[in-house]
Amino acid sequence: MMGDMANPPTYPQPREDATNAPLIAGWREGRLMLQRCGDCGRAFFYPRPMCPHCWSEKLAWFEASGRGRIVAYSHVFKPHHPAFDAEAPIVLIEAALEEGALMLTRVVGEDRTNARSRMAISLVPMPEAARYPLPTFVLA
Amino acid sequence: MTKSDIGIVGCGQTPYSKRAQGTLVGYLADAARRALDSAGMARGDIDGLAVAAFQLPPDNAVTLAEQFGITVSYADYFTAGGAGSVAMMLAAKRAIEDGQAKAVLCVAGDLYDVGAHYRLMGNFNQALSNYAQPHGFGGPNGLFALVTRKHMEAYGTTCEQFGRISVGQRASAALNDNALLRGPMTMDDYLNARMIADPLRLFDCVLPCTGAEAVVVAAVDRAPKGKGVRVLSGAEQHNHPPGEVAPLHIGAALYRDRLWARAGYGPKDMQFAQIYDDYPVMVAIQLEDLGYFGAGEAPGFLARHDFAWNGSLPLNTGGGQLSCGQTGAGGGMIGLWEAVTQLRHEAGARQVPKVERGLVAGYGMVGYGHGLGSASVVLERA
Repeated sequence: MMGDMANPPTYPQPREDATNAPLIAGWREGRLMLQRCGDCGRAFFYPRPMCPHCWSEKLAWFEASGRGRIVAYSHVFKPHHPAFDAEAPIVLIEAALEEGALMLTRVVGEDRTNARSRMAISLVPMPEAARYPLPTFVLA
Repeated sequence: MTKSDIGIVGCGQTPYSKRAQGTLVGYLADAARRALDSAGMARGDIDGLAVAAFQLPPDNAVTLAEQFGITVSYADYFTAGGAGSVAMMLAAKRAIEDGQAKAVLCVAGDLYDVGAHYRLMGNFNQALSNYAQPHGFGGPNGLFALVTRKHMEAYGTTCEQFGRISVGQRASAALNDNALLRGPMTMDDYLNARMIADPLRLFDCVLPCTGAEAVVVAAVDRAPKGKGVRVLSGAEQHNHPPGEVAPLHIGAALYRDRLWARAGYGPKDMQFAQIYDDYPVMVAIQLEDLGYFGAGEAPGFLARHDFAWNGSLPLNTGGGQLSCGQTGAGGGMIGLWEAVTQLRHEAGARQVPKVERGLVAGYGMVGYGHGLGSASVVLERA
């Protein structure tokens, strides 16, 4: 995708815990895992020990389609960690996933600055996906 | 409505600087000493202590009481970021009404600079550090760029309209010796400044700095003659609307009607508005949710008003955080300090003439995408 595939930058990593482990494990294989509530049926992000909509503990992980749309975007010229400096401007987006969850994430790729609101996005495929700490997107 | 006898009897602010000149406790003590002087009180008159400072942990209000050498019957440490100081003052008022204390010292501040701000925001809370920091999100600049973009696309707000907030406040800052940015700024300067996180440019973003503020909450008749400030009403609401990443509304939308009804006044009766200004878009959103204009009407409202201290809507009359700098959690008290200073008629060259009442709104505590906290208060010269 960009940069040195063999030596990806040392991006800051999420702290793995009992709640978010399936998200992090899934993304190591290039899959976007979300939680869905067994009572109210809503999917959500970020991972929680209970449904933020109805407080149910009947939560199940499932593999999301990896497709969504850009709700809002910004070209960020000063990322919040030096590991991203070589990629600046990074493109930060609010994404609405097909399953209904909202997510802060990035659009990457040479054409990333073409990102605009309402554009379709899809997950970065493997093996490039392994480079990024969390589910990351490209313009579809 | 019955007016409460409990209000603000003194206020203090330390000098602001780009780099810390001492310790956090030293700054908080300096602000406290100035507030007590302003209240005409001695250290022994204080029997309650509340503090908002991101960098205070592992210390807290009780260990700060030890540092200060005072015994208190009320102590609390507040966390609602830029909404924390207004919420802290309201809680102190309730504690006094409840008989728990008679005079509560509320202090806020941080030893902020660009580096400290950077370190704090990378580990601000679990959701941000786990799910935003690994994307390099750009800190608050990146997050509020998304909110600003959404506001522009939803309502048609322009950069120039947002700029009227920054430019108007800078005119007030020219008359405030404690503002770190007080040189003249034109709309062209604003529009052509360096891009930080588009659409945000340099003068949309606050400068992290060091400083502290304090207020003393007590029965208004304990203030020096003509110096008491009454609290007509206050309210807070956090995490509203829940579940959104970059909403165009805050908790004030839920308490607005109650806030004004209890105050017995409306937005048009306010002679100034001190509105938490980490970014111009958040001033626009707070003004809308506090009832200054109807849904989606920000573009026309911003275009038609002058926001300098002597303009049609005196806004952040000391220059606000956008011109003074953001002293970490102290950024939540700068509006309260400025409001009390104005209502005591001590604002010098930037004094709003014949001011009797005004609004203070706090906002902040960035979670997964936006500031979660909102707290507002309507104040009146006693």
